[in-house]
Amino acid sequence: MRLMNSAPPAGSLDDGATAPPGAHARLALALAAGKAAGTASKVLRAGGGTSFPGAVASRIDPRILQKVAAASDAHMVVVTGSNGKTTTCRMLAALARAEGLRVTQNRSGSNLLQGVISAAVRGTDLHGRMDAQLLLLEVDEGTVRLVTPQAQPDTFLITNIFRDQLDRFGELYSMARGLEAVIEALPTTATVILNGDDPLVASLAPDAPARRLYFGIRDETAGAAAPEHAADTIRCVHCQHPLTYRAAYLSHLGDYQCPECGQGRPALDIAVTTVRPSPLAGSEITVETPAGAYSLQVPLPGLHNVYNAAAALACAVAQALPRPPEPAQARRAMAGLRPAFGRLEQIQAGDRRVLLAFVKNPTSYNTTMREILQRPGRKHVLAAHSNTVVDGEDFAWLWDVELEQLVPQLESLTISGTRAEEVALRFKYAGADPAIMRVIPGREAALQAALTGIPAGESLHIFAGYTPMRELRSIMQRRAWVAPFWQE
Amino acid sequence: MTLAPITVRICYLYPRLLSVAGDRGNLFALMQRCAWRGIGCSVTEADAGEVPDFSQSDLILVHGGQDREMTAAAQDLASKAGPLREAIESDAVVLAVCAGYQLLGQSYTPPAGPPLQGLGVLDVITYGGPKRFIGHVAAECELNGRRHHLAGFENHSGRTYLEGNARPLGRLLAGSGNNGEDGTEGARYREVYATYLHGPVLPKNPWLADHLLSRALAHRYQDFGPLAPLTDHTERQAQAAALRLARRPARRWRAAAAAVSRMRRPVRVPALAGREAGVAADPIADKESGWTSP
Repeated sequence: MRLMNSAPPAGSLDDGATAPPGAHARLALALAAGKAAGTASKVLRAGGGTSFPGAVASRIDPRILQKVAAASDAHMVVVTGSNGKTTTCRMLAALARAEGLRVTQNRSGSNLLQGVISAAVRGTDLHGRMDAQLLLLEVDEGTVRLVTPQAQPDTFLITNIFRDQLDRFGELYSMARGLEAVIEALPTTATVILNGDDPLVASLAPDAPARRLYFGIRDETAGAAAPEHAADTIRCVHCQHPLTYRAAYLSHLGDYQCPECGQGRPALDIAVTTVRPSPLAGSEITVETPAGAYSLQVPLPGLHNVYNAAAALACAVAQALPRPPEPAQARRAMAGLRPAFGRLEQIQAGDRRVLLAFVKNPTSYNTTMREILQRPGRKHVLAAHSNTVVDGEDFAWLWDVELEQLVPQLESLTISGTRAEEVALRFKYAGADPAIMRVIPGREAALQAALTGIPAGESLHIFAGYTPMRELRSIMQRRAWVAPFWQE
Repeated sequence: MTLAPITVRICYLYPRLLSVAGDRGNLFALMQRCAWRGIGCSVTEADAGEVPDFSQSDLILVHGGQDREMTAAAQDLASKAGPLREAIESDAVVLAVCAGYQLLGQSYTPPAGPPLQGLGVLDVITYGGPKRFIGHVAAECELNGRRHHLAGFENHSGRTYLEGNARPLGRLLAGSGNNGEDGTEGARYREVYATYLHGPVLPKNPWLADHLLSRALAHRYQDFGPLAPLTDHTERQAQAAALRLARRPARRWRAAAAAVSRMRRPVRVPALAGREAGVAADPIADKESGWTSP
């Protein structure tokens, strides 16, 4: 991990030798206070301290992340993008642990600045030393340019860019420009891993000095002929002409080419060459990498998880691990994964079952919905969205979700959250029968009502934004249906 | 025997090029509100390079897009300009949102780069500003002597100024609207209704959806009577919620109020961490206080 010296914050102190005597004491105090805050919030059951310790520690020492990063020689991986950050990080951590590496990571989707600092506080002793060999950080795509000037990653991965919370980021392209600035600041020793199937991601900062690797899918039988409706970047980023696809795998991700200027998908360094349904669960895939071919079972369903696996393997073979993972070991590690909390997590709720899906944009919603629609039977659904700083204020994207496909299979529909009225309106115009629709803003009451109407042995499908998903999960946690997310 | 159904002909302009943040919800609203009344609805999509027969359109939709897409649309619009202008002058109904609104005006001057020429049917001029207006909007509109609330969400950097024949669509109650200065939102000319509101605007403002539909039906059938009323309970709830959001205090005041209420909350011990308290103490609250705006 390297310290970036080019742009220290105005009025800040220098590190190391020139630091005044108080600087180390301040760091130690900040780390101690952060750790105490983490313990306190766990003991008080306030939620496992996934971002509170960072808030406390950085209040005492604003440059804590920079200092910890500078003192450590752990390999630092930063994962950003619209979708798949959490699952990709879990996959990479599993690959690393299978190789015997110690990993520190920010978990549970705590990917804003305080969550990142919390991970650093947790992974560091009071002298600022880090025990882990791999520091793995998933960082919100809007926050990443606040993190990298303080702690520069050795490996920087961008999973994809979808239309995600436009009201927070302004336009898609201004967020892309922010990511370009991050890539351009990386030195030649760093590696940038980009989704080659995403036209916007693949085109970011083409002249940056860092090493560049592309991952993607090269199995045309797994794709469709044209992108679905919610596709975001389907025009050429260079000349604006509509792109043509040899295969569209997931929304705008695929093997694309511009018929006007000829710009197409770059050559893939890490390519998924076969995707087959696995007889066990999920997909059976072959991935060709510069370090040889890997045959993996991805136990999580859907092509989005194939992308996540390819991204994680790309990091592992690039340089995040001291040597490329041993193929049989990697296969075992990947096959042993369980979904991240809230990612279509199965929860036994007494004699009923809950399937909890975290949805935050048209792509994640459509992908999860399709998984559920493939299962037989009519569906009991609880849909919950709230306006918070994390979830955004604008829920217009709900109108890009293909809820018309879900509505014919609905048996009951409960709607909750602080934006319940907006969700109800969307379902009404998707054709939902008002007679089966209940609007109950309170999360606990909504969960209770939704479960009450379900016969024993059947499932409740929950589609929820980040905040209501956490709230519903903590209700289920108090009922001892699930373990707290920080114990995962 | 089948009766020839009453049908409204909708032209959906640039469904792929100009389509951001759920704007197609406006089309869904029009189609469903026709279907619920037994009125037929035919939709013609026309993207870049395709020239529809505007003389056969009763209602034309054109939506928002990002700067790059808007530039491509402006270039393409030149090939559609004549017939589209003619349709508007013969009282075809138009809903124009955000970039679509700007494109119907005289010109749009981006922060960097040359100005884009608009269709010029609305007497408005737009300049790209340094800061985006992002947030909930509430406005009050007067149509046919009746007052209505208009609610939605804006996300634009363009500042639009009305001149000459353009009237504002509404007066702001909250939000930035056309330019953040003069308290106006949107513009009207003949049967053109232009607005900065996404959200999408028609589902939660059913009076506007019905106004567009009845004007479109009047464009096609001279003697079409009033539309049958619908039960708009869900719509009214959604509009009321959106109006409340637009009129609540600014974020920093909400944050300050939340901080004060946290300080006042009694110290929790595990045994007392009841159901609701547990929810309130979820670390999302930490996230909120720790969030630094990009």
